[in-house]
Amino acid sequence: MPPKTPYLGEFEYAVLLAVVRLGDEAYAVPMRELIEDRTGRPVARGALYTALERLEAKGCLRSRMGDPTPERGGRARRYFSVTPLGLRALKSTHAAFASLTKGLEAVLEQP
Amino acid sequence: MSAPHLPPAFAESMLRRSIANPEWRDAVSGDLHEEFVEMSRRHGAAAARRWYWRQACGLTLRFSTSRLIPMAAPRRPMSVPDPDMDGRSGWTWLSDGRHALRALVARPALSGAVILTLALALAANATIFNLADALYLRPFRFAGVDRLVVVASAPENDPLADRSSVAPADYREWVDASTTLTEFAAADFWDPNLSEIDEPEQLAGFRVTPAFFRAIGATPALGRTFLDEETVPGGDRRVILSHGLWMRRFGGDPTIVGRHIRLNGEPHEVVGIMQPGPSIPYGAEVWAPLAYTEEEWQERRRGWLLVVARLGAGQSVGTARAEMEAIVARQRQAFPETHATREVSVTGFIQGMRDAGAGPFLGIWQAAALLLLLIASANIANLLMARGTERQQEFAVRLALGAGRWRLGLQVMFEGAWLAVLSIALALPLAALGVEGMRRGLPPSVLRWVAGYEFMHVDWAVLGVTALLGAAATLFFSLMPAVQASRAALSDSLRQGGRTTTVGRSRRWLGTALAAGQVALTLALVVGSVLILGAVDAAVNGVLGFDKQHVMTASLTLPERPYADPEARRQFVARVLGRLRGMPAVESLGVVSFLPYAGTSSSRPIHPEGVELTPAEVRQADFQRATPAYFEAMRIPVLEGRGLTDADRAESRPVAVVSRSFADRYWPGQPAIGRRFRIAPEAPWVEVVGVSGDIMHDWFMNQRRPTFYRPYAQDPSLTMSIVVRTTGDPLHVAGELRRAVTAADPDQPVLQLRSMERVVADKVGGVNYLARALAAMGGIALLLALMGVYSLIAYLAARRTQEIGVRMALGATRWQVIALNIRQALVITGLGLAVGTVLAVALGKLMSSALFGLVSLEPLPVAVMVVALGLTALVAGYLPARKAADLDPTTALRTP
Repeated sequence: MPPKTPYLGEFEYAVLLAVVRLGDEAYAVPMRELIEDRTGRPVARGALYTALERLEAKGCLRSRMGDPTPERGGRARRYFSVTPLGLRALKSTHAAFASLTKGLEAVLEQP
Repeated sequence: MSAPHLPPAFAESMLRRSIANPEWRDAVSGDLHEEFVEMSRRHGAAAARRWYWRQACGLTLRFSTSRLIPMAAPRRPMSVPDPDMDGRSGWTWLSDGRHALRALVARPALSGAVILTLALALAANATIFNLADALYLRPFRFAGVDRLVVVASAPENDPLADRSSVAPADYREWVDASTTLTEFAAADFWDPNLSEIDEPEQLAGFRVTPAFFRAIGATPALGRTFLDEETVPGGDRRVILSHGLWMRRFGGDPTIVGRHIRLNGEPHEVVGIMQPGPSIPYGAEVWAPLAYTEEEWQERRRGWLLVVARLGAGQSVGTARAEMEAIVARQRQAFPETHATREVSVTGFIQGMRDAGAGPFLGIWQAAALLLLLIASANIANLLMARGTERQQEFAVRLALGAGRWRLGLQVMFEGAWLAVLSIALALPLAALGVEGMRRGLPPSVLRWVAGYEFMHVDWAVLGVTALLGAAATLFFSLMPAVQASRAALSDSLRQGGRTTTVGRSRRWLGTALAAGQVALTLALVVGSVLILGAVDAAVNGVLGFDKQHVMTASLTLPERPYADPEARRQFVARVLGRLRGMPAVESLGVVSFLPYAGTSSSRPIHPEGVELTPAEVRQADFQRATPAYFEAMRIPVLEGRGLTDADRAESRPVAVVSRSFADRYWPGQPAIGRRFRIAPEAPWVEVVGVSGDIMHDWFMNQRRPTFYRPYAQDPSLTMSIVVRTTGDPLHVAGELRRAVTAADPDQPVLQLRSMERVVADKVGGVNYLARALAAMGGIALLLALMGVYSLIAYLAARRTQEIGVRMALGATRWQVIALNIRQALVITGLGLAVGTVLAVALGKLMSSALFGLVSLEPLPVAVMVVALGLTALVAGYLPARKAADLDPTTALRTP
């Protein structure tokens, strides 16, 4: 039996989308910039790490360590990618929102 | 471009330390580093460093709290069963501890209230315990103090004699006769006047036998102690200075050893400086050899020596006491004239030398502090129990899933332990403040007599007691709800399905008992504080028998050798009084040997004419020497006969004015004027010429002590106080008073220059302070008790919301519902007040025995307190009940 699809919070939804969008370059620094840029809201670093840790614990994300680089003081980056479970969660959350917004285009897309 | 900037190393290391997982550690610090480089390129190094610090602090906080309370980051997927429940995999103390802390953090208001309450109560206990420890339990801490004893001897019917009571002849015999005691040492009061440097000053000092320093384990920092050959008259002009005196008056000059200083107008060679440390006995600052003439050593009738001795090997206080009693029994046989009623006492050094008066006071205080802690604990137990009910559901589920009862109890204990740890952490700085406040609160004039004052600081003993009491309180208040919770029937809780119903009988009983207990203890504590406040008021403002307003006093002691001739003393007094007499600010002035409330007195055995008294029947009366105008200056009324006059000269007929109580004791119902008495079988007769009003000489001995006043001219004393009644502010004549003394004798220091109001205030100052602290404790207790009663009744009312809904739906009126709750409040407070009244009366009885009759248990304050507590409890019952009654019945029924 496949594990139950977890429910995603709003912020978790945003983080998963950012990971998908960034692909091979998905580590915390650009992720935060991307979410801040697109949502227009400040994102605390601590909150982002918390969400990443939790999503990984839930099995929605997996991570690997990159190579140490000098501009990071010799520390490695932690790259994230979405697991099949994460993808399912993303899809079901998206579908839920999509079904909720269906028929409301007239309201939502007004300038 | 310059070398790449690095982030602040300390901030980085702090951040890295806070992250447990090594991969996260690298990832997070690397990310921050990367952004830092970008930041410093754009905004400059300084701005980047500031930015880095902010980020590192925020992240450190985030990661270190998640380590402690890992609620944000569960390590396991949610579906893995909780190891608590499956009974196989090991749980750890750590996980329980974390769980408990999380539970506390989740309810900050409740936890804060509990911690503050407990911290206050613990701090009060720690402060008082430190005081008791320093002043009463362990005022002396030198090596070997436990083998040292004080040997005292006094007529059995002389309650005024203290440990400085041994006659020189007795002392010598004891040294020879005793086998259980070794290293006898004796000390005699000797307060010399230090002159020539700066202002003359009277020092606190003693004449001691050479063995004295060995006995008290004191060694000199410089020079030496006394030699045996220095104990002969003439060889005794040598002194040892205390470290404090050496620093204070001689600037720590090491060359002072071997030089001469002027004491009582005569040069004395300084032979040693003591190590810094306790000043024994009684805050001594200077010591000289005890050098009596052979004649003086023969004195057997009067005793004044303080005698200490060391227990021989294998001996105990008990064996030493038995031996000394046998020795003194032989002396009673051998010297029936002087020793017929002589008793001996052998006590441990600490017991013998500590401030005897401190015991009852500290006892009362400590009892009050413990009461406060009990009240606080009961309060916390109630709060936790109220909360425990909310959690009953949680406990029931866990029980049903197989968690052991003891395991649940353990978790509650963990929560209690956290509360205790946090409270103790808060209590320690509070206790330090309290102890410091106590130190400052002691008037300097009494410090000399307070042994152990130097130990008043927060030490390990205080830490230990605080931790111990904190742990005990925790056990008490956290186990109560746990026992309750585990006793609750499993099926009942589950069946209730989270719906609130009326509280079970046993829980209600326990809650009622706790709240009632709180009310009872509070009543006792509040009544106790009111009593003490009343006692202090009586001591400060009560019937003194004299008028303390507008009186300036100067106390001094003339040195013995220059004033060996009584005529010299009379002339000194005449010169001082003559210089002051003409001043416009002076209304009247006199001299008295012992100023009331100044802490010293003298007494003599009284033999009235015409009555043959056996030695056992002879009683003591206070002995005063006064100049004629003393009575006028102090406004002590002369009730019968005449006061003393200038006509009572040295060579005229010996006369005395006696106090009312003196006259009533010896000649009850008869005129005392013209009667005669003497102070020794062979002494001259003294005729009573007047009867004066009684005064309170020392409130610690609150009896109106029979007193007789002899004319100063007929029996001039070395110790005296000059008493000046002024027209205006008494302090305005202080300078003149000092100058008058200096003009009469340039070497003569004034020991103390105080207004009479100050003298009284200094004496009762410590008690005043005690009373205020006790009142504060009573106030805190009152607050806590009200909080406790309120929270319990409010909690009970909340638990009955559903019941109230049913009742109101069935037609009960608002007032019937409110009355229901008020009845509950009445039961609790009524029970508490009944028990509390009994406690308060018992406490009042105890205090009136400890405080020498100054405390009287009046019914009125008790009644006022009972009514006040009852009323406030009723209000506490009314408010939550009204809230419940105001609910719409349907809402009440639906309330979860």
